[in-house]
Amino acid sequence: MNCRFSEKISSLIDGELVPAEAREVERHLLTCSECEQLRADFLSLRSQIIGFETSLQPEVQNRALQKILARPGRTRGLQWNFGTQAIAFAMLVIVAAIIGFVAYQKSNNQRGQKDVALVVQTPSPAPAATVEPGKQPDVKESPEPQPAPSKNSGDKSPRQAPNKRPIVREPKPGEQFAAVPERVRSADAETMTAMHFETSERLLLAFKNVRLDQPSAAEEVGYERKRAKQLVYQNMLLKREADAAGDVQISSLLENLEPILIDIANLPDQPDENTVRAIRERVERKNIVGLLRVNSTALARALD
Amino acid sequence: MASEDEEFTMLFQDFYPSLCRFLECLLGGRAPLAQDLAQESFLQLHRTAWETLPAGEARFWLYRVARNMAINEFRKSNTRYRLFDRVVEAMRPRARNPEQEYEVQERNAMVLEMLQTLPEDQRAALLLREQEQLSYREIGRVLNVSESKVKVDIFRARASLRERWTRLSGISRVARMGN
Repeated sequence: MNCRFSEKISSLIDGELVPAEAREVERHLLTCSECEQLRADFLSLRSQIIGFETSLQPEVQNRALQKILARPGRTRGLQWNFGTQAIAFAMLVIVAAIIGFVAYQKSNNQRGQKDVALVVQTPSPAPAATVEPGKQPDVKESPEPQPAPSKNSGDKSPRQAPNKRPIVREPKPGEQFAAVPERVRSADAETMTAMHFETSERLLLAFKNVRLDQPSAAEEVGYERKRAKQLVYQNMLLKREADAAGDVQISSLLENLEPILIDIANLPDQPDENTVRAIRERVERKNIVGLLRVNSTALARALD
Repeated sequence: MASEDEEFTMLFQDFYPSLCRFLECLLGGRAPLAQDLAQESFLQLHRTAWETLPAGEARFWLYRVARNMAINEFRKSNTRYRLFDRVVEAMRPRARNPEQEYEVQERNAMVLEMLQTLPEDQRAALLLREQEQLSYREIGRVLNVSESKVKVDIFRARASLRERWTRLSGISRVARMGN
């Protein structure tokens, strides 16, 4: 891994390079066998990591959900989530406040009763001091009782209406591998399909990462549009091939991919955010990237 | 309330398995612990943050909280739990046929073994990239690091795994030839 492009290979397969860089790295890959091998190895590692199956059982999942929903006292807004020490401290403050209040009341009563001789109570057991007549006593007012700790403002805040969340479907482990083609087609077609899936996956990832607020957005969109146009034709040809070979799963994936590629290919130079977001959401909803990834790696593995 | 619970249930059904898988890989295959932590993350979400989180944030919140819990578990590094988990895992009933089961177990064990050689931050970044398909920016938000760190971490993780993978493949090839 001595080539200066090594790190960029990693970003390339993640679709995180800007178009100019991606083009440069793709050109480099045609001439550098070391980087080509690196790319293949990274993709192979990816397929190994994706292939990890969790040992989660459906009944465990259902039980967990029931436990969460059945938990009483669902709190809204702020959660009183203090430890024992904090509670003990709060209790101590409250007790001290009560004692202070009682002492204050008591001292007030005593002041009302004794007009002539004012006795200042001290905490020490020393005898009460008598104040000489004509001399203004240095009376220390007992402190005002502290107001009770105010409730946290969070409690009084109006309850927020629940947000409507767009739920993004993730590939279920079983779902991913259900898409692995069973039927064997000609090696050429499979190689082309695997490559097509990989390129499309890269395109969709790059498209997902385009930031429309950046100055380079127009250039990036232009690049993705050009790539999408090339892929649309290839997609049509490969779909025809898959239909002829009776490979329903590959054909269906290509069928789902086609309208998305067409939408990207038809984007204007300065697309508005809503159009781009709509395409991105469709890609996520249909889980196209996940399916492309699984199928391309599965096909590549079969070819190996 | 019913529709809120329905929404939460949908979110749970969509992300609980993925979160379990992420934690299982992060924790080196401690499946029961991973499931407990995933459940705890969802429980916290349901009790505290569900109504206040903006739309689309729940997923990142969950992964962030779950990962923090996993880090706490690393700190505990309690071998007693690990042993207990393995016993529970060994006793778990299996639905597949033994051959398939063996194959899956082999592959899982190899992936876990390789992942365990990585530092935790690299492992988390790589798993979020490969399994959860998050972008570098999104991973940065979950792990609370910059995008450039995510990029470097993922590259280093891949390079290190590749090296190990090549070495392991070499060893197994030699072993096969010996047999």
